[in-house]
Amino acid sequence: MPSFRFEEVEHTADLALKVHGHSLEEIFANAACGLFSLMADLENLSPTVSREVHLGAPDRESLLVDWLNELLYLHEVEEEIYTRFEIETLSSTALSAIVWGAKMKASKLTVKAATFHDLEIREAKDGYLATIVFDV
Amino acid sequence: MVDKKDLKRITDYLYEIPKEYREDMRVPARIYADERLLEAAFRDRSLEQLVNTATLPGIVGYALAMPDIHQGYGFTIGGVAATRYPSGVISPGGVGYDINCGVRLLISSMEANEVKPHIGTLIGALYRNVPSGVGQKGGIKLSPSQMDQVLEKGASWAVKQGYGTREDLERIEERGAMAGAEARAVSSRAKERGKNQLGTLGSGNHFLEIEEVVEVYEEEVADAFGLFPGQLAVQIHSGSRGLGHQVCTDYVRSLQEAVKKYHIELPDRELVCAPLDSPEGRDYFAAMAGAANYAWANRQCLTHLTCHTFEEVLAGKVKSWELTTIYDVAHNIAKIEEYEIDGQRTKLCVHRKGATRAFGPGHPELPEVYRAVGQPVLVPGDMGTASYVLVGTQEAMETSFGSTCHGAGRVLSRKAAKKQIRGDKLRAELEAQGIQVRAGSMPGLAEEAPAAYKDIERVVDVVHRAGLARKVAKLRPLAVMKG
Repeated sequence: MPSFRFEEVEHTADLALKVHGHSLEEIFANAACGLFSLMADLENLSPTVSREVHLGAPDRESLLVDWLNELLYLHEVEEEIYTRFEIETLSSTALSAIVWGAKMKASKLTVKAATFHDLEIREAKDGYLATIVFDV
Repeated sequence: MVDKKDLKRITDYLYEIPKEYREDMRVPARIYADERLLEAAFRDRSLEQLVNTATLPGIVGYALAMPDIHQGYGFTIGGVAATRYPSGVISPGGVGYDINCGVRLLISSMEANEVKPHIGTLIGALYRNVPSGVGQKGGIKLSPSQMDQVLEKGASWAVKQGYGTREDLERIEERGAMAGAEARAVSSRAKERGKNQLGTLGSGNHFLEIEEVVEVYEEEVADAFGLFPGQLAVQIHSGSRGLGHQVCTDYVRSLQEAVKKYHIELPDRELVCAPLDSPEGRDYFAAMAGAANYAWANRQCLTHLTCHTFEEVLAGKVKSWELTTIYDVAHNIAKIEEYEIDGQRTKLCVHRKGATRAFGPGHPELPEVYRAVGQPVLVPGDMGTASYVLVGTQEAMETSFGSTCHGAGRVLSRKAAKKQIRGDKLRAELEAQGIQVRAGSMPGLAEEAPAAYKDIERVVDVVHRAGLARKVAKLRPLAVMKG
């Protein structure tokens, strides 16, 4: 299991992340962390606000895309950056979580959306590996 | 992966991937490129993505790629796919998240030389007055009923509020309001994201540039467009902001169910689609047209802010500070248009994802002033080189569903660009070339560096030689504002 939780993958126009996790819960949390680290500097950011997220989807890949797009929506309308992700319940078709963050605008990049392109969650050594392509 | 040996050379500037290349292709795929640009296309997965679009139900003719082709998500960027109306499909991925991302070109009656002493002040004032950047709000605040009007009336809503003139509307694709838009098809989440972003530029590759016309290739057409050598111009590149992103997000998600319902088999989930005559397809079209109208209203408001800033800075200092719109084009959109297919006028849904409409002379959709010569096509380059004004052709009507390229097209990933180029160094280099730069983020500036893009001159030469549009004028940047 690599020590890092996510890595940026080369893509001509957009951005792709490979996300590692011991469990699916970690995949969801690390993917969210990867997303916000593309958008802003997360160091020294202390979480002061929290939001509840409840989602349902037909399969776990759609659920991952919905989760990231839900966070992008909250980020834009609430002007918040999230850094801590507590996944309370997770199945292939439903998720409940509490996310923590701070009032802050993105400073590095606008991510338009998480896409279904090349989307994959698969079992890997010591856990799971997910690939997500973002439109930026 | 598509290999060179899979390609058939049709002309010096056109190559074909035959239908037999993959079993699920419904039509062949064709790419407009010269040898060098073709090499670039092999370096990423753009050709594989082009082949994927050739599998869409109802696709007509060819899945087409313009010379600025590069890898996207789902559809390739620089792609054109026309499907039969109404039995074929419409795909939100064939339009993209920034619905009606597009370009507007404004011209002055003055020579750039007369304004050069004021360029620094002008770009500084534009940077202050035009909201831009990552996560920027600061736009016009819309009430729910105003939002519905923006979605259904587009740029004409903005003109009615005093942002610009009726003459502007004549010179916008679709006159700034696409028919078939319905506010009810746009989710409340999309409206929430868009309610205070109208009149904002955004970030990424969006920009506002002050430019000079440095070369005119066809005098008669340039005359009709109002262009002359040495002229001052302004180019605005922006789209439908968070509202458009949410519309695409909503429908890419909801159509995941539709493809199951209509038994559509796809090689990539991002290509999800629905028949144009299904409730799902009709709803997406109505929402996409609404987002497109929001984008035209946005560029109308940005135009107004630009004109206002020119007046603020230049009034009393030069003899004329007025700017007029030449044209405004969409390069991420799906349109219902008619073409001759097998000798019959046929209605098609033309998806242009990183491609520009290029209607030839005589088309009834064109404003009267341009009808005799053809549609102005605006092709922005990267910030260190040049942009072009082209004119649409009859040949494009016959071979590329009235479409041509949309820009230079990326060759370097954002990650690689940031690794190779430093934003502050790039800014100093551009300023040494006489191009003033205002940017919200230095890493963001590095991602958009000229080295990250293909050679715009080569891209434009290919479409010119292939007959998809002809060169009319070349513009060089004097000052660039990036979000």
